[in-house]
Amino acid sequence: MRDHSRAGAINWLYAAPAMLVMAVVGLLPIGYTFGLAGEYHRLAVDTRFWPVVRTTLSLTAVTVALELLLGLAMALVLWSPFPGRGFVRAAVLIPWALPTAVMAMAWRWIFNADSGVMGDLLFRLGLVASPQVPWLADATSAFWAIVLADMWKTTPFMAVLLMSGLAAIPDELYEAAAIDGAGPVRRFFVVTLPLLQPTIVVAVIFRAIQTFGLFDLVFVLTGGGPGGRTQTIAVYAYDVVFRYQELAYGCALVVAMALCLVLMTSLLLAAARGRGAR
Amino acid sequence: MRSVIRRLSPVLLSVVLAACGRSEPGDGKVHVRYLASPDVGGFSKVIIERFERANPGIKVDMVEGPAAADARENMYSTAFMGKEDSYDLAYVDVAWVPKFAAQGWLRPLDELIAPEKLDAFLPGDVEGSRYQGRLYRLPVQSDGGTLYYRKDLLAAKGIPAPRTWAELVSAAKETRTNKIAGFIFQGKQYEGLVCVFLELVWGFGGNLLDPSGVVRIDEPPAIAALTALVNAIHVDGIAPESVLTYQEEEARHAFQEGRAVFMRNWPYAWNLMQKEGSPVRGKVGIVPMVAGPGGASAATLGGWGFAVSSYSRHPNEAFRVAEFFAAVESQKMAFLQGGILPSRKVLYSDPEVLRVAPHMKDLGGVLSRARPRPTHPRWPRMSDALQMHVSASLSRQETPAEALEAAAVEIRAAAAR
Repeated sequence: MRDHSRAGAINWLYAAPAMLVMAVVGLLPIGYTFGLAGEYHRLAVDTRFWPVVRTTLSLTAVTVALELLLGLAMALVLWSPFPGRGFVRAAVLIPWALPTAVMAMAWRWIFNADSGVMGDLLFRLGLVASPQVPWLADATSAFWAIVLADMWKTTPFMAVLLMSGLAAIPDELYEAAAIDGAGPVRRFFVVTLPLLQPTIVVAVIFRAIQTFGLFDLVFVLTGGGPGGRTQTIAVYAYDVVFRYQELAYGCALVVAMALCLVLMTSLLLAAARGRGAR
Repeated sequence: MRSVIRRLSPVLLSVVLAACGRSEPGDGKVHVRYLASPDVGGFSKVIIERFERANPGIKVDMVEGPAAADARENMYSTAFMGKEDSYDLAYVDVAWVPKFAAQGWLRPLDELIAPEKLDAFLPGDVEGSRYQGRLYRLPVQSDGGTLYYRKDLLAAKGIPAPRTWAELVSAAKETRTNKIAGFIFQGKQYEGLVCVFLELVWGFGGNLLDPSGVVRIDEPPAIAALTALVNAIHVDGIAPESVLTYQEEEARHAFQEGRAVFMRNWPYAWNLMQKEGSPVRGKVGIVPMVAGPGGASAATLGGWGFAVSSYSRHPNEAFRVAEFFAAVESQKMAFLQGGILPSRKVLYSDPEVLRVAPHMKDLGGVLSRARPRPTHPRWPRMSDALQMHVSASLSRQETPAEALEAAAVEIRAAAAR
């Protein structure tokens, strides 16, 4: 018993430096933000608040849903053995390893109205009438441009997370299902998907939190335009704090954003638990 | 262990002190520090050398920061928010003056300079340096929106350079082809769009914020100006839809590659278009931005100048550096070596300047009409509201009247706060 508590104390001691660092760089600024936040009543009358929340939510929902489908497909392909798998796995991760601001600049060129690759590609395929397509000039196509760029970057991350879930599924279950006469499709739905569910929940929550706070991609690619239709909460909070110098209200926005995240995460967890109980 | 700490503590202390404030270098000189964009062409270093030769007791430390203006604005803001004396001088854009002055970050300069000395500067540059009647900046570099046109394409059709919006539209219609757009401008949702739009609003006889503080952007002249701009894209077809993604450089590239007849841009584009190998070299003319019915042609003022930090321990020395940079000789050199437009009137008729750059005469005409954006401490918020709704109107999400009505509501709310 004594040994046990001593070991516990030593463990805490080992963890202390890391926890101290976390407290200084994490808790302190968060606490400071709460301290600085004020003027909450303005959230109710701010004409920009709901539009940016709406944009952020739809961006999050669309991007994460598409990423989940694509990431799952990618994970299944990368999980099954084939020659050169190690190389392909590494290659797939390249977009995720690139700094977002840099890849956003690249996407800006891809979507360039006068000489962008995207317009040229679709023109060669005969899908558009002219290679000069002003993608970022229209609210809807600018929104989808952001979705596409974000998916390109973060789907590999989703795939890696899901692969870790696949690794935890014992082969015996597949074998048993196969013996019972289940084909590959049925095996996917009765074995893979249910057992992958906890990982999917974690991956979706991870990605939802990240997308909800999306800043750099939007900032570089569209600047929030046209007509403010691609502005996310994070971009707006940046403007409020750094450009308008309204520190209190900017921090209030950040607090509101954090509450939205807590709410969103609990809903996702509750939904997952509800499914698990059934 | 303890002895190590004792030995290290002076080092640690000096690190902590250095982080808290700037320590004086031990050369017995007063150091004046400021942040600027990279010194391309090296003329700032030459001016600094000349200053230091004339003022042996003062050393000027120019910190070459990022080329992006808003990054430097944030660097200045961060230093000033912390009440740090990192910078004695601030090289500020005209649009930053009200925000910086309202925060108390800048020292008023009225006692340091005789009022009649200011008459030698372009009037817009001086007006844009004031906030609530006090002078906070010494203008060094002028800038204003102007209309570029292809002299050769207009001459081929026998069309004179336009002076009104109607003339611009008809000239653009007659000269454009499938490959060459009629008129391009900065139409992306950002500060540049507001500059483009305000020029037209003034040109159509309207205003955004009049001197008594009344918001007038939802009045008929402004609506007419926005309608004209929207129609240029969607009705007259003289501007391609891609202008909605253009900032200065996208527009300049398109024009320089010969893909447009008219372009609204800043004067910096001139030198680049006259460079060896430029397809439009010698084929470009400039005129003031056109006016609408009932207005007079106007330009949105840009431009830079030196302000003295409130937190500087050497404000008088700092001001002397600012004065030296604003002197006729320094500005002349900055123009001849770096193409920096002077803020002093006399240089626009200077024979040496006109010999190398005959277009300076036309530019002098443009810049003498240049008007600063409203000097309001909450200008960034007002500008964003305007950017957003003008952009929404150009992309046909809102009609011009709806857009400006909504913008006016938001601008009034920002002004009232």
